Amino acid sequence: MSRAVAIVGSGPSGCYLAQALLKATPDLRLDLVDRLPVPYGLVRYGVAADHQGTKGVIRQFERLFERQGAGFVGNVAVGEDVSLDDLREAYDAVVLAAGLSADQALGIPGEELEGVYRAGRLTRALYEHPDAEPLPGLGRRVVIMGNGNVAIDLLRLLAKTPDELAGSDLGPGPSAWLAASGIEEIEIVGRSPAAAAKFDAVMIRELAKLAGVAIRVVDAGASDDPEGAKTIAALEAIDGHGSGSRRITFRFGLTPVELAGADGRVGEIRFVDGSGDVTSLPCSAFITAIGFDDEGVLPRDALLGSAADREAGVLAPGLYATGWFRRGPQGTIPDNRADAQLLAARILADLETGAAPAAKPGRDAFPEWAGAVGYQGWKRIDAAEIAAAPENRCRVKINSRDAMLALAFQEEECPR
Amino acid sequence: MNIMLLYGTETGNAEMLAEDIMAELEGEHAVECRNLSDFAPDEFDAGRLHMIVCSTYGDGELPASAQPFAAALKAASPSLSGVHFAIFGLGDSEYEETFNFGSKGLAELLAAHGAKQVGERLTHDASGSDMAEDLAFPWAAQTVALAEEAIGENA
Repeated sequence: MSRAVAIVGSGPSGCYLAQALLKATPDLRLDLVDRLPVPYGLVRYGVAADHQGTKGVIRQFERLFERQGAGFVGNVAVGEDVSLDDLREAYDAVVLAAGLSADQALGIPGEELEGVYRAGRLTRALYEHPDAEPLPGLGRRVVIMGNGNVAIDLLRLLAKTPDELAGSDLGPGPSAWLAASGIEEIEIVGRSPAAAAKFDAVMIRELAKLAGVAIRVVDAGASDDPEGAKTIAALEAIDGHGSGSRRITFRFGLTPVELAGADGRVGEIRFVDGSGDVTSLPCSAFITAIGFDDEGVLPRDALLGSAADREAGVLAPGLYATGWFRRGPQGTIPDNRADAQLLAARILADLETGAAPAAKPGRDAFPEWAGAVGYQGWKRIDAAEIAAAPENRCRVKINSRDAMLALAFQEEECPR
Repeated sequence: MNIMLLYGTETGNAEMLAEDIMAELEGEHAVECRNLSDFAPDEFDAGRLHMIVCSTYGDGELPASAQPFAAALKAASPSLSGVHFAIFGLGDSEYEETFNFGSKGLAELLAAHGAKQVGERLTHDASGSDMAEDLAFPWAAQTVALAEEAIGENA
């Protein structure tokens, strides 16, 4: 009997790992287990709604289920609905590819004020994750703290005109929220100098397409490092772009120290600059986009802490980790593909050299998964989302678990 | 026709398309499919059509798997006179300034070393509504027909 492999998480890391495993060993019994009723994780809920080209990797992942025999086990949370130990008992190998979806906190006084939000809270709501909190009012002056691609995604979405969102899958609620936002000023602030900013230069160049903005870059500085110089060149190229009503300002080298406000609501953010001077910016909302962390459903710290070979992704015999769950919140989708391909080779080598084991039951150990969402259930959700898309959208996401589950388990109509 | 199908990929999309093109062509032709990362400039063969699928990544750069090949070609700088290639590009018009620069740069690099391009470089837009294979399959068939004239049918 072939070996059984379970991958926890069906985002890009999990899917790329499954792809590499099945390409080398097509007869593996492989299941991707996801706590959501829908697959693809970050590609669906983290890649920006107006970056549909980036979501094109989904076509590769569909083949896992449609041609390569992978199983989708949706709406099953490992660590809650099924224990990691039980999963390890049932499969020859278990791989944790659950990503990191909790927002990192800044850890400065005033973070509890109204009007202070973490990026993931907003992107989950914008991209209609079923666990999202409602979108809050941001007021007229928004400060975004952070210099990664998520910060730029938020900046771009907040800055776009309704017309510029055509072709995206941004839903009617978030679209109406953006259209009515009334934002006049967006300042984006990095702790590091511009040369060390983590966003991709191409994400900066993309901002030069925006029609409703006026962009200013303050103190981009200079750099000898080629990557840094590229970032600075991209920033200089957009400095002065546009004469729209929404002002965008990039600032660098400012470390936030304190948020202040009146009546429990944020009104000002104070920074120290490189020479120790204090400056402050007024704001009606302060958004931190400074990276992601573990949600705590799986004991990540303990597992990584006791890992047999953390670099290789080996946590313990038959237990592995890949993607952000292993490496931390750094690296793009292709970085995770490379990581997954390396780990796949290691897992297959381990399975090969391991002592001939008793046949593991795999998903047969979990009769209760008859109630999980399978790939066909997801395809019913997918088809409904695409069918309901308005003219200038490519899909309209279903944003509640109940509605997803109702669709997934809809009885096929039987012809009489 | 004897075809060496090569792909330069970053996210795997170009690899998938190359595999699809291979499946489409291999009934009638002898096709070998390889990642550009596993192909050396001295492996070009004047008797074959080199059909390339290449994406674009970052700020108009070659995808990761094509970069070692491009570097090796620049370093060795061989004459590719007599070598025939055709190229299909994958890009995203969301990044319009550098749209499909990967395939464009690779085509220019091969031409600069004397290789002859067969047919037009066709590009797919990930932000458009076409499926890549719907453009690539007719392109591949047409390219093979042109190459049969240029190289000879029994090559």
